[in-house]
Amino acid sequence: MRIRTVALLLTLFGMFVVLSLIYAQNAPEASEKGKEVYENSCAHCHGTEGRGDGAAAENLLPKPRDFTRGLYKIRSTETGELPTDQDLFDIITEGMPGSSMPGWETALSANDRWEVVAYIKTFYDGFKEAETPPKQINLSGKVPYSEQSVETGKALYTELGCIECHGNIGRGDGTSAPDLTDEWGFQSWPANLTQGWNFRGGADTEDIFKRFIGGLAGSAMPAFEGDSFPGFGLTAEESSRMIELDNKDEMTEVEEEESAQLYEKYDAAVDIALNLAEGTELSAEEKQIYDDAMKVVYEKSWHLANYVKSLMPEKRPEPAIGNNVLRSQYIQGELPEMDNTAWETLEARYFPLVGQIVIEPRQFNPTIDAVNVKSYYNDTEVAFLFMWDDRTHTTDETDDETGKTLEDALAVQFPVKVPQGPTAPKPYFLWGGRLPVYLWHWKASAPEQVTELTAKGINNAEVQEAQGELQVQGTYTDGQYKLWVKRALKTDDKKDLQLDPGVFVPIAFSAWDGANGDVDTKRVMTSWYTFVLEPVPSSKRFIYPPLIALLSVGFLFGLRAFVQRRNSEEA
Amino acid sequence: MSLFTICLIILVGSWVFLRFVVGGIISVPIPGSVIAMYMGLIVIAILVHISVEDSLFREFRRPILETLVDDKRRLHRRVLVVLIPLLLLGYTYSIIAQRANPPGSPRDAHPSPPLQLTYKDEVIGTMQDVVNPFRHYEKDDPEAFKAHVENGKRVYHQNCFYCHGDHLDGQGHFAAYLQPLPANFQDPGIIPNFQESFFFWRVAKGGPGLPAAGTPWDSAMPIWEDHLTKDEIWDVILFLSDYTGYQFRTFGEAH
Repeated sequence: MRIRTVALLLTLFGMFVVLSLIYAQNAPEASEKGKEVYENSCAHCHGTEGRGDGAAAENLLPKPRDFTRGLYKIRSTETGELPTDQDLFDIITEGMPGSSMPGWETALSANDRWEVVAYIKTFYDGFKEAETPPKQINLSGKVPYSEQSVETGKALYTELGCIECHGNIGRGDGTSAPDLTDEWGFQSWPANLTQGWNFRGGADTEDIFKRFIGGLAGSAMPAFEGDSFPGFGLTAEESSRMIELDNKDEMTEVEEEESAQLYEKYDAAVDIALNLAEGTELSAEEKQIYDDAMKVVYEKSWHLANYVKSLMPEKRPEPAIGNNVLRSQYIQGELPEMDNTAWETLEARYFPLVGQIVIEPRQFNPTIDAVNVKSYYNDTEVAFLFMWDDRTHTTDETDDETGKTLEDALAVQFPVKVPQGPTAPKPYFLWGGRLPVYLWHWKASAPEQVTELTAKGINNAEVQEAQGELQVQGTYTDGQYKLWVKRALKTDDKKDLQLDPGVFVPIAFSAWDGANGDVDTKRVMTSWYTFVLEPVPSSKRFIYPPLIALLSVGFLFGLRAFVQRRNSEEA
Repeated sequence: MSLFTICLIILVGSWVFLRFVVGGIISVPIPGSVIAMYMGLIVIAILVHISVEDSLFREFRRPILETLVDDKRRLHRRVLVVLIPLLLLGYTYSIIAQRANPPGSPRDAHPSPPLQLTYKDEVIGTMQDVVNPFRHYEKDDPEAFKAHVENGKRVYHQNCFYCHGDHLDGQGHFAAYLQPLPANFQDPGIIPNFQESFFFWRVAKGGPGLPAAGTPWDSAMPIWEDHLTKDEIWDVILFLSDYTGYQFRTFGEAH
C-alpha cells in the first residue's frame, strides 16, 4: 500500500516536471553552447560583446541591436518593460522583415535558439536583476476590423500626431521623418505603413497594437502614454461630445457648464496618470478612474491598429518575374493622361529594388522598396505610369561628404536593340557594357522632362544628341512619386529602342533617394525584367471555336443517323 | 459495370493520378508532355485490350451505340450533345486566346572556367593546378589557419552576406529579388563539386567574367578583384568550407 502511494506520488511528480518543462517558455541558464552558437551565427553583426558592432554592422541600417542596453523593439510587453524570453526566441526564429536580420528557423535548431536567448540576456544585467516577470500587454479587448473602427482609428491617427512622422496616408513621409534618430544617434526612418511586409515585428493587427502600446524601445517611435490621448479619462461618447462642444462657435450656458465638467474630469484623470508615473500611491477611487480611462484608451488603440491595417495590401505584391511580365495593354485612340481613371483599372507590376553594391560608391541601405508600373499603348504610341514611394521630396541638397547635388530620380532602362532569341546576349544589367542600353532619366528637379541617354556602363552614359519628343509629367504627393511618360512606338533615332507588339523587351530600373545619399552609382536598382506590348488577341478566337463546336454537333448527329440506319438494316 | 465505364474510369483515374498524386503529393508537378505520353500509352493499351476479341469489342461499344439511338438513353444523349460541343468550344478558345509568355532563359549556372586563373592581369597558374595557398595551414599550423578563416569571415560579412546570407544559404536580404539567385553554399552540390581555384575565378571575375553560356549580363555578382586583395579572396574561400563543413573538390595527390 505504501509503495503504491509513493509510486503514485512519484508518477504525479514526474508528470508535473515533464509538463512544466513543456510549458516552460523560459530560456535555460546561459551556457557554453549558447556562446558558441552566438559567436558562430550572431557576432558578425551584433559583436562579440553584444554591442551591435560586429564586422558587418558598419554598412547596415537599421543597425544590428546593441544588447547591452536592454532595449528591444519587438516585445509583447508594456512600455519600459524587458521582453519575455519568448519574444526574443520569436525574433530569432522569424527574423525582422525590412532589415538585415534573417529568420533562423531552418539554420538553427530550436534548442540552439533557446541557448542564444539565454546568452544574449547575459549582455544586460537588468534581466538578472528583474524581480518580477515583465508585464505583458493585455490583448483581450481586441476590436474586430470594421469600416467604423477604421474611421475612428483614422481620426486618432491625426489627433495623436502620428501624421508628423508617418505622413498623411502613412507612407512614412511626415515632416519630421528625415530628422529622426534612435537612442544611438543613427538615422531612424519612420515605417511606411502601406508596406506591411517591411514591418519588423509583423503586420498582424495584434502586432501593430503591441508596437503601439509597447513602443519600439530605442527607436524614435515614442513609448505609449495613455494620458496623451485626447479625452483621457472620458468615455468615447463623452470625448466626442467634448470635441463637438469645442467646435461650436457659441455655447449656451448649459453647454458651457457641460464642457467645463468634461474638462474637469479630463484634467483629473491626467493628474492621476502623472502621479502614477511619478510613483505616487493611488487611492482606490483614483485607481478605478485610471483603470476605466485605460480601458477606453486600449479600445481606441485597437481602432488605430485597425486603421493602420487598412492602409496596406494583404501581402507583398508578387514581383514581375517569370510569366508575370509587364504587359502594356492596347487601346484604340488617345492614350490616357496621368490623372485619367483608366489607369486605375489596370493592375500594376511590382519591381522590387535592391542596393547597387557592384560598383563603388555603393548603396547598402536602400530606402525605396519598389517601382510599380502600368502601361497602355495604341497604334502609334506607348504610355507608362511609374509609381514609387519615397519618404522625402529632395530636389536640391548638397551631400556633406562629396559636395555633390543630391536629388530624387528614376531611370528606366531598355536595350538599344532587343536581343533576338533566348540565348542572344543582352547588355550588362547595370547600364550596359559592350552592348549599349537606352535610358529615360528623370529628375525630381525637372518633373516635366525626361532625358534620353545611351550608356555603355554605369559610368559611361551620354546624353543623346537628338532628344525625342517624349511627353512627361511627374508629381510627388503624400510620399509617392508618379511619373507618366509617353513616346512614339517608332522613332527616327537609331539610338532609340523601337517597339513592336508581341516582342519581349528587357527592362530594368534605377532609382535615387537624395535624402538617403543616393547619387551617381550609389542608388537602388533591379536586374533585367521583361516588358511586352501585349498583342491584341487574334480575332480567330471568335471564328474557330464555334466552328469546331458546330462540326462536333454535326458529327454526333451523323453518327446517330449512321447507327440508326445500320440497326434498321440489320433488323 | 460496363466495360466502357471501366475503361473510362481507368483513363480519367490515370490522369488524376499522374497530375495530382504523383505530380503533387508524391513529387513535383510532371510536365504536360510527359503526362500526354503516358496517357497515349494507356489509350493504346485499352484499344489493344478491347480489340483482342470481337465479343469484347461489341461489349465495349454497346453503351456508346445505346446512347446514340436508344429511347431509354434519351436524357444522356441530350446532355452529351450540349456538353461535348461546349467543352470543345472552351478548349479551342483557351488555346487560341492564350497569352504568349516570354521565352525562358537557358542559363548554365556553372559554365566551364578559362584554362588560366588570373587575378587582375597577373597569371596565378592553370585552373587545374592552383591550390589555396593557405589551405596547408589546416594541417601545418592550426593557429594560422584559424586566423585566416577569421579574416575570411570578416571579409564575407563585410561584402558577401548581403546576398549570400548570414547562414551562407544564398538567402541574404538582397537575394530574393535578384535574377539569377545568389549561390547557396549550404547546398551539398556546390562546394564539393568545385576546386578552390574555380571559386577564386568566380569571385575575382564576378558576373561579367562569365562566358556567354552563364549569361554574364544578368548576374549581379561584382568583380571582386576590384575590391578585395588576392589573400582576402583565398581567406573567404577557406571560410566558406570551414563554416559549411563541406570540402572543396581536390585531385588526388597520388597522381
